[in-house]
Formats: sequence, structure tokens, C-alpha cells
Amino acid sequence: MRILWFILSPLIALAVGLFFLGLARKFLARTQWRYGPPIYQPLIDILRFFTQKSVSHGAVFDLGVILSLAGSFIVVLFLPFGGICPLQSSGGLLVILYMMLLAPLGLALTAGEAANPNSSIGVSRMFTLALGYEVPLLLVVLAVMARYDTISIVEIVAAQREGVSNLATFPLVLAGIAYIMILPALLGLRPFDVMQAPQEISSGPLAELGGRYLALAQLQHAVNMFIVVSLFVNLMWGGSSNVLIFLLKMIAVLLFVLWINASFPRLRIDQAIRYLWRWPTLIAFLGLLLVEVMRK
Amino acid sequence: MDRNQFIKWIESPGKMAHKYSLHAVYFSTGCGIIEVPPSITARWDAERFGVIPTATPRHANLFLITGYVSLKTLRAIIRTYEQMPEPKFTVGFGSCPINGGMYYDSYNTIKHLDRYMPIDGYIAGCMPRPEAIFIAVTHLWTLIDKDMADGYKRYRKYYAQYRANQERVLGRLEWPPLFPLEKVHEASA
Amino acid sequence: MSLELLMAIALGGAALTYILSGVDSKLRDAVAVIVSLTVATGVALLYGRTAEMTIATGFLGIPVGLRIGPFSWLFAMTVSAVSCLSVIFSLSYMRGRQRTGFYYAMLLLVDAGMLGVVLSGDLLTLFIFWEIMSWSTFLLISFNGGPALAAGMKYFVMSIIGSLSMLVGVVLIYVTVGTLQFAGVAAGLSEAASGYRLAILILFGLAFGVKSAVWPFHAWLPPAHSEAPSPFSAVLSGVLIKMGIYGFLLVMYVALGLKSFFSLGWRVLPVHTILAIIGAVTILVATFIAVIQTDAKRLLAWSTVAQAGYIFLGISFGTAVGVAGGILHFLSHSVFKALLFMVAGAVEYRTGGVRDLDSLGGLIKKMPVTFAAALIGVCGLIGVPLTNGFVSKWLIYKTLIVEGSPFLAFVALIGTWGTVLYGYKFLHNIFLGQLPEKYKDLKPAPFSMRLPMVILALTVVLFGVVPGLPLGVIDSIGSSFGFASIGVTAGGVAAETGTINMINIFAATLIGLILAWLIFRAGARGARVDQSDSYAAGAYVPADKYQYSVRFYDPLQRLMGSWLKDPVDSFYGGLAVRVGKVAEGLRRMYTGLVADYVMYVVLFLAALILVEIVWRPW
Repeated sequence: MRILWFILSPLIALAVGLFFLGLARKFLARTQWRYGPPIYQPLIDILRFFTQKSVSHGAVFDLGVILSLAGSFIVVLFLPFGGICPLQSSGGLLVILYMMLLAPLGLALTAGEAANPNSSIGVSRMFTLALGYEVPLLLVVLAVMARYDTISIVEIVAAQREGVSNLATFPLVLAGIAYIMILPALLGLRPFDVMQAPQEISSGPLAELGGRYLALAQLQHAVNMFIVVSLFVNLMWGGSSNVLIFLLKMIAVLLFVLWINASFPRLRIDQAIRYLWRWPTLIAFLGLLLVEVMRK
Repeated sequence: MDRNQFIKWIESPGKMAHKYSLHAVYFSTGCGIIEVPPSITARWDAERFGVIPTATPRHANLFLITGYVSLKTLRAIIRTYEQMPEPKFTVGFGSCPINGGMYYDSYNTIKHLDRYMPIDGYIAGCMPRPEAIFIAVTHLWTLIDKDMADGYKRYRKYYAQYRANQERVLGRLEWPPLFPLEKVHEASA
Repeated sequence: MSLELLMAIALGGAALTYILSGVDSKLRDAVAVIVSLTVATGVALLYGRTAEMTIATGFLGIPVGLRIGPFSWLFAMTVSAVSCLSVIFSLSYMRGRQRTGFYYAMLLLVDAGMLGVVLSGDLLTLFIFWEIMSWSTFLLISFNGGPALAAGMKYFVMSIIGSLSMLVGVVLIYVTVGTLQFAGVAAGLSEAASGYRLAILILFGLAFGVKSAVWPFHAWLPPAHSEAPSPFSAVLSGVLIKMGIYGFLLVMYVALGLKSFFSLGWRVLPVHTILAIIGAVTILVATFIAVIQTDAKRLLAWSTVAQAGYIFLGISFGTAVGVAGGILHFLSHSVFKALLFMVAGAVEYRTGGVRDLDSLGGLIKKMPVTFAAALIGVCGLIGVPLTNGFVSKWLIYKTLIVEGSPFLAFVALIGTWGTVLYGYKFLHNIFLGQLPEKYKDLKPAPFSMRLPMVILALTVVLFGVVPGLPLGVIDSIGSSFGFASIGVTAGGVAAETGTINMINIFAATLIGLILAWLIFRAGARGARVDQSDSYAAGAYVPADKYQYSVRFYDPLQRLMGSWLKDPVDSFYGGLAVRVGKVAEGLRRMYTGLVADYVMYVVLFLAALILVEIVWRPW
């Protein structure tokens, strides 16, 4: 029975992620006063990618995309979605933080093997941006772990349910603000979509990916959106034991991030790093300091 | 538009997917590209049809030859076309790919692009308006439905002739043949 | 096999190798391999034994002896195994070079020295073997001559300062406690004043700090490890640094003992917290400097400094899980860092000495096994789950978070992301990307180089999937120090807050991979193309000009470059120059004229007489 959830959980994440991708395109279109594609357009795109016979540059090229999608699937197994969480024990939040670096690493291996400087520049920007948002993200996550004194994400969700309200309770407000400020960077949306930058570096790491490789990369992008938004809702918005309410919370967070995505242009990578290491880091640091002081 | 007819998706998912996910390589081959940005922006929204531009040929299945083709551009066009994954469709945009158009007596342009790479359809005009682009897209859907958009199959079958034409007009080509030439010779002999 | 026999074989083997090099090089190679293998198996056979013996009673009536317990055994096993693999690797690497007999003899002597250090039963033996190890290391670092000589001198000066400080500490202990055996020292120190214990810690800490390259004593490491011959760099980074860690553990938990070590310092900032902060600073500084390096071996050297920071952070933090994590990270780091230096050595060997990351590329097509080993090594370095690096880092993180030091945990976690950056740069600039024309006909690494790399790679994965194997020994080490047991199972550690079960994670990874692979198979198969069929905006790919590796992290470098110049190194350099100037000034005293020297003697005698007349001290 549990084995079934091990397989269903990543697939549910995939479906929700694809829905989010379609929602993103529709929302962007509507903000730009046009109609845009239907919400199920990402499904059509991925189906089309699967029917195309593209090129491969070697064994590592194939393995890299598989590793990146697998990495995202593994994170999903540890993340509670409503009441569903296949792997509740085994290290919780720390394992999630660690597994989250498998996906960029897999994509980087594929992009490296593609032997294209656009891909390599894209990977360099991807890792630099990751270093950029990891500084405030780690401070935020450590503040949450210190506040609830546990590294198990299920316990964090349960502890928030017993709080006064389901929103991030004081003293985690600062951490919550910092987290909201870095959400677009985690999702790879504007103003932090410098990794893809189709006009500058021909889609960066995806430059040489076609056919089924591109399909897997898109699927990984979808699952990544699911993971990031779901992590935010679990840590900062109390999660939920009901799948539907959890989904509604996720959509609310996503719409906020998409609103920012539709309104801002792209930042250069050094502007992005400077932004991420300035105010969000400062606020997250103060939040962590506050949590520590209140614990003593 | 039969995108919402679920039965068709079950019957031929590949064709339906290609129809409603035509991603065009954003290659500005000539002056005709000036009519493409208006068609992908808010007024004549091409994304409704599933048509968006992509940065690299590896992601694309539609190639718009927008405008005249000089010899220098022909090299890039052929290379880009060969790097697209199959199945792929090409559309000649404007009068120049059809018969040379405005540059019919120039020494440096290609008058009949069809000799150097397969074209699935043409849009006449100089330049065609965005509405013409969308009519062309719907025509392309019909061709895909009837299996008549087989430019890429023709390229594979007659590759020797295409390559011979390319080499005649461009001189030596730096890239190796896309398909093995000996086999193709046998097929057409 | 008894301990004296083991040490005798190790030392004698070094001498025999040197003698045989004049006779026949193949015989010498065989003897070197056999000696190191025998030593390694001998240590392996000593598993589980606890023994202590005295070899001789000599100078001042102090007995010198050896001992073995789980603590010594783990370090001895790592030392001998890595040295043995390095000797096998040297078989091809050193072929056709000059003075190879000297090289093998010194390599085996370093091996013997390190073995003596960890098997020593008292402080005098420790000091003797410490010196043997340091001197032979210096000789081997400067083996290549030129910049290697300068690097060796830097190492040597810092190491000598450390050794002298240790000598002062040993003499101090002998004078106050009366014995140099570890048990006696522990008993004697537990009654001593806290200022005295702090002095002992600082004196020994200087020596062990220089050897284990914690900030600010790390300045010798980058030049030394990059200029040494690659198989020896593997030994250097792999196990020599850890001798400093061994020493720290000895002083902190064996000599000083658990309670007295934690009671040092002030209540709000105990000494062990200061040491943990030093470890964290090491991680931060070294990781970011490693990101902007362009020399493959120098990048790995800075990475060693950073990982030594992790180990130091783990062991000085002071919880059972922390110490276990630190010792396990020592083991993991020995394995994957030796592996990575061997990879750099194999690439250097085949390309004729090229270490520059800006000029390599695409070598995966020519050296696939080396790439696979490098990939596993880098995954271990980063701490990808299912490698041994993950387990050890996870233990360190868990203890930092659970015990309420989130700022230290933050530094450790950011260090991992910095490691991702430079680890990927190492892989990408050497193996991925476009293959340059001049390396079109490169041959893969020879078998005697591939064998140790494959063995180490398998060890990385083995200890990652079944961490209970090393954790059992480490748990007994922790118990011998006085910590509570951490509850080791085959799949990991079961502790009060949150379990880590590697088998669970392994199962999750397998499911994720299979699911992703099934989705992958649903797509149409792709044609295999050559590197010249890459997107280049419609043009044909220009050969040798289509690789992006120079200034790989350019945005980061421009942002942080001015802050990443090592101030400690320039400080030491300035200090050396000033000392040189002072010595140069003093040199003027030696004028070369005998008359002047007679004048000095007469003046000194006059001063003595003056002192006697006025103050009458004698």
C-alpha cells in the first residue's frame, strides 16, 4: 500500500506542477491584455516534445536529465502535500535541503556534456543564482528549525496547526518576509530568470536539449515549482491536513509570485546576487537572531 | 480549431500535439521578420494558437523563412534547419522564397528556395500581415491532419539532390552530410 | 602481527626501496607495492585488538612504546590504505622520471611516519614520528624543484614552528606530570590548573593546527599540495592533514579529557566554541577562494582546507554526534580527496603536465573511467546522498542544528553550496564541454592508475549506502572518549531527534530514478551526434574556440574577487620579509675581522664583571 503512494506522490506533484506552468502562462497572458494559451498547453508541449527525435551528445547527456528529474521526484517524497507524505521520518527538512541540489546538478551535467558555451554560461549563472538565494533561504529555514526545535517537516506543520493562527507566527514574521522576497529566485521567474534568458544565451542549459530531453527538463521545471511553493506553504503558512485547502494556499502563493513575474524585467546576475545578499539576507539574519534570542 | 475534441487526441496524439504546439525558431532571415513581433505580442496574440518563438532550433518544429534569402543566410538557414528535430515544418513567408520577390534579378539572392530545402507551404505577400500568418497556421494544421506536411521526409529521401544543389551554389560545406549519401543514392537510382 | 613488527616493516621497507633503486627499478617498484600492501593488511588484521607495548627505555629513562585501540586503528587503517593506493598509482605516474628511488623511499617513509604517529603509545614516540613525517614530507613536496621548492620551504618553516611548540608542550608536561604515557598524562592533567591546561592546549594546538591547516595556519597548504607530485598530493590531502586532526582529538579528549576540555574558557564563550568558530571561518574563507581558482590541484587544495574546517568544526563542537560526524568526515574526505587528486594526476599524466583548468575540456570522450571516478568523487565532496560525504556532513549538521547553533549550521550549509560550485567547475573544465584539437588522440589512463581510482570510488559509494560499517568503529572511539553511544544501525544512526536511515533514502532514490527513467523511455530515441553539431546560431562550430571555461564564475569573481585575496598569506609573507630584514641587520655584526670578534668577547666579559660587581647575583 505504501509503495503505491511512493509512485503516486511524484505523479501528483507532476500533475500539479504542469497545472502551475499552464496557470503561469495564462496569467501572464491575461496581465498583458491578451488571451493566451489554454491552461493545458504545457501538456500539449510536452507531448509534442516526446514525439520528436532529437539528438544526444553522450551517455552523461542522457543520465543528467534523468538524474535531475529523479532528484525532484525524491524531494517530493519527503514533502507533505496536504495529508500525503510517503517518507515522514529519515531526517526531514535537512534531507530536503540536500536533495534539492540534485536537480540543478543533473541539469548541469547534461548542459556540460552538450559542449555548447551557451549551456555552460547558463550553468554558471544557475549555480551563482543558487548560491545567491541559498544564503537567505538557509537563514530562513534555520530560523524555522530553531523556532520549532525540530528538523522534521511534519512536526513543523503540526506545530503550526496548534498556533494561534495558521500564518507564520511571531517571531517568524521576519523570516517569512525574507522568504517571500526570495521566492521568485527559487522558482526561476522574473526578475530572476537569468538562467534561461532566451534572448541572451539561447535558453542557457536547455540550448542543446530537444525532444525527450527537453520534455524531461520541462517536467523537472514543473515539479520544481510544486516543490518550492509547497515548501513555502508548509514552513510559513501552516500546511494543511486537507489536500484541497493546501492546493488553494499554493495557488494563492503562486499568483502572488506570478504577479511579480509579470511586472518586472530581468535582473542581471550580479544585480540579482547583490539584491539577494542585501535586504533578504539582512532580514533573514535578523529573524534568526530574534528567534535565537527568544529561545534563550 | 479542433483542440477541444478529446476523441481526436486519443486517436492521433502526435499530430494533434504538433498542430497545437508549433514553436517557431526565432530566426530573422530577412526583412519579413518585421511582421512577426506584432503577431506574437498582445494585439494579435499568437500564443492562443500555441505558436511561440524559441531561441534555439532544438526546441522548435516550425521554421519561418521570413523574407529574401541571400547566399550568406542560406548557409545559416540550412544549418538551422538540419539542427531541428524531426518532425519539422517550414513555411515560406513572403514572395521572396516563392520566386525571388522584389529581388528577382539580384545576383546574391536565392530565387527558388524549394531547391535547397523543403518547404511545406507559402504565404504570399510583401509582407504578409499577421492575419495572413494565422490563416497560414490553420492551413498548416489541415496539411498536418492530411499527412501532407512531409517536407522533412522529402529532405531525408532526396538528400543527395538537396545537398548537391546546396554545394553548387554555396561551394564547399563545412558540415558533414546529415544523412548518409550512399544509401540515398541507391533509393533514388 | 605485533606492532613492532609492523613498524619495522614500514621503516625497513622504505630503506630497502631506496637501496634497491640502484639495483633494478622494476624490483624496487614491486618491493614498494608489496611493502605498502603488507603494512595495510597488517593493520587490517589488527582490527578489534587493544594492546600497548614498550619498545625501549632510553633517554632520561623515558619508555617509548606503541599502542593500538579503536582510535588508533581507524586512523592507521586509513593511512596505510591511502598510502598503498598512492604507491600503486605512482607506478605509472613516476615512470621515466628522475630520482624515482628517492621518491618511493620517501613515500614509504611518510607512510611509516604517519603510522608511527597514530600508533604511538606516549608523547615522546609521537614527537619522534611526527618529526620523521614532517621532514620526509618536506623532501617530497619539493621533489619537482622550482616553485615546489618555495612551497616546500613555506610548509617546512610553518611545520617546524609547530613542532617546536609541541616540543615545549611535551617538556612542560614531563616536568609537571612526570610521565609521558597517555594514561598518566590524562591523570596528571585532570588535577592541574585551568590556565595550565589552556597553555597545553595552545602549545599542542599550534602544532596540530599547522598540520591540519585550520585558518589562520592554512597558508602553506595550497602551494604545497599543488606543487607536489600528484600521488603524493593524494596522500598529503588525504591523510597527512588528518594527523593534525588525530593530534587534536588526542589532546582534547584523551589527554585533557572530556570534562576538563569543556570547562576551559569562560562560561559564555568556552574554548571549544572558539575552536568551532575557527573551523567555521576556515570553511567560509577556503570555500569561496576555491571557487575562483584556475589550477586544478590548487582548487582541490583549497577544498582540502575547507573540508578540514568541517572536520575541525565537528570534533570541537563537542557532542557525541558531532565528534562522530567529524571523524567520519575525516574518513570520507581521505577517500574522496585522494580520489580527486588521483584524477588530477591521471589527467596531468596523459596531457603532459597540464593542470590549468582554462585549457582542458571534453576529456570525458577520451578518459571515461577517470570521469566516472571523478564524478563519484565530486558527488562525495558535495555530499550527494548515497555517498559517504553525505552521511558525515549530515551528522555534523544535525548536531549543530539540534544543539542550537544555527549560525554555525548556516556556515556549514553554505559551504556545501560553495562546494557544488567549485566541484562542478572541476568536472566541467576538465571533462565536459568541447575537446580541444590537440587532445584528439589522448589515451585513457593506464590500468595501474585506474585501479586505485575505481577502488576509492567504490568505497565512497559503499560507505554512503551502508554507513554502519565505519560508524561502528567510530562509535567505539566516541565511547572511549567518554561520549554516550550514538546508536549505530547498519543503515545509519538512530538518535533521539530524527533518524537517518540510509536504506530509506536509498529506496527513495531508486524509485525516483526508475520513475524518471521510465518517463524518459517514453520519448523517441535521439541520434548520437558529435561535438561539432552544436547550436552556434546557424554557423558551423569553430574548432577549439567553442568552450566556455575561462573565468567560469565571472559574476561572482567580479563581485567578491577583491575580498578573496588571502590576507593571512600576505601577512605571513610580510612577516617573513620583516624577519629577513632583521636578520640581515643582525648579520652586519659578523664583519669577518677577527679583531672585531675579540672586541665582542672582551666587551661581554666586561659586562659580566660589571654585573657581578654591582648586583652580585652569583
